[in-house]
Amino acid sequence: MPPTAWTYFATAARFALLEHVRNRLALVLVVLFVPLWISLGHAVVDHHEVRFMLRATHGTVTAHGNDLGNITGALNAVTLIVGFMMFSVTFKAAAFDRRLAMAGYPRRHLLAAKLAALVVVAVVTCAYATFAVCLYWSPRQPWLLALALACGALTYGGLGVMLGALVRGELTGMLLIIMTSIIDTGLQSPLANPVADDDVIRYLPSFGAMQVATTAGFRDAIPLPYLLLGPLWFTGALLVAALAFRFHTRDRRNAFPDG
Amino acid sequence: MPDAPVPAPTPVLRVRGVHKAYGRHPVLRGVDLDLPAGCLAGVVGENGSGKTTLLRVLAGQTRPDRGTVECPGPVGYCPQETVLNPAFTVDQHLELFHVAYRLPGLRRAYELLDTLRFTAYRHHRVGALSGGTRQKLNLVLALMHDPPLLLLDEPYQGFDWESYQRFWELADTLRAAGRSFLLVSHIAYDTARFDRLWRLKDGRLAAGARPEPRPGPRPGADPGAG
Repeated sequence: MPPTAWTYFATAARFALLEHVRNRLALVLVVLFVPLWISLGHAVVDHHEVRFMLRATHGTVTAHGNDLGNITGALNAVTLIVGFMMFSVTFKAAAFDRRLAMAGYPRRHLLAAKLAALVVVAVVTCAYATFAVCLYWSPRQPWLLALALACGALTYGGLGVMLGALVRGELTGMLLIIMTSIIDTGLQSPLANPVADDDVIRYLPSFGAMQVATTAGFRDAIPLPYLLLGPLWFTGALLVAALAFRFHTRDRRNAFPDG
Repeated sequence: MPDAPVPAPTPVLRVRGVHKAYGRHPVLRGVDLDLPAGCLAGVVGENGSGKTTLLRVLAGQTRPDRGTVECPGPVGYCPQETVLNPAFTVDQHLELFHVAYRLPGLRRAYELLDTLRFTAYRHHRVGALSGGTRQKLNLVLALMHDPPLLLLDEPYQGFDWESYQRFWELADTLRAAGRSFLLVSHIAYDTARFDRLWRLKDGRLAAGARPEPRPGPRPGADPGAG
């Protein structure tokens, strides 16, 4: 009896998670780097109040600088780590995944499994980062903060998968993720740019996540449209990755039945 | 009444006029070949003559610029570089490809591990295996679904002498069962083992001379180092 759709998905998802678990560098980064960044952000950033424009609530917010530093630090940490993890497994397993697909493994199940593993990685990492933030102060809506971080992580996870499917060099992909993150969080950080009134900012990958995370920290609103920006970026990146994967794994013989 | 002519058996692989260039550098310039069932065929040629490109075209991994490749059944392709996932064990590779090939079980895969003498490594992670053992797994993944056509690109790189001999015993068994091989090799000693031999030169296949079998290398010699 041929495998069912569930067998294809469940097998690939189990192995996709196993790959993440065996990526020791990424695990060390999650366990140590996330709380380190959040702790340093809280200890080093000035405690004095900062006034900044929060587009998601159409108003200005006043908050302690180190609390704000915690939010930008947490978002920066989870986006970088999840982006790195997804790029790393996609890039390293690219030839192997191509071989599996050429052997008959359905591509959509392979991709769906990577997506499921990404969601699990993003949820676990962001729950951990939110817990670390809550050790220092109490955000107004911790669950919304975790969700906002997860949206940012999904965006960068999707970018990681896309770059893993597109670029030829490992260093190239890593640098692209790091540089994107520096530009992204640097330009819209309320600490660095409290007015943030340039329209370019809304097109940055983690714009929605930053707006929702800041709202979760200091306000009671739930800015749903901003929450959807992360999944939108994620879907776009995954679409490009799926097209690249399909292009790389098609059978190029002119007269051969699809195996 | 004269007997009606016996139709020629349908080849398991038919290649006509295959051209492939990388930029301005032509690699394949009109390759034709027919491979019947139960034929062990070899392609030899100098480094850079296009052997690997030819196999990639036949396996469907590279699109030819011109020409056709026809093969009615599934193919077992063993690439020159080991294409494995270092995070997974040998058994986990077999499990994934068992699903990919839609196989009822893993009996044949385990037999192949046994034939190539690396059953003891089933639970080892691939990243921790030697080059020769990784190559054995690379080969098993191409053979475990018992395809009628095998495209093998220097499949015994890194094998020790005993494993090399076992590979040829396995090839003889599969040939006797009607499987066809197209094997890329650069070892002169191998050429006596083939039913057909082509030399890839100037982008085209020409019938290659088959030397008389010579005394084999000493036990322990590396067949992949020739």
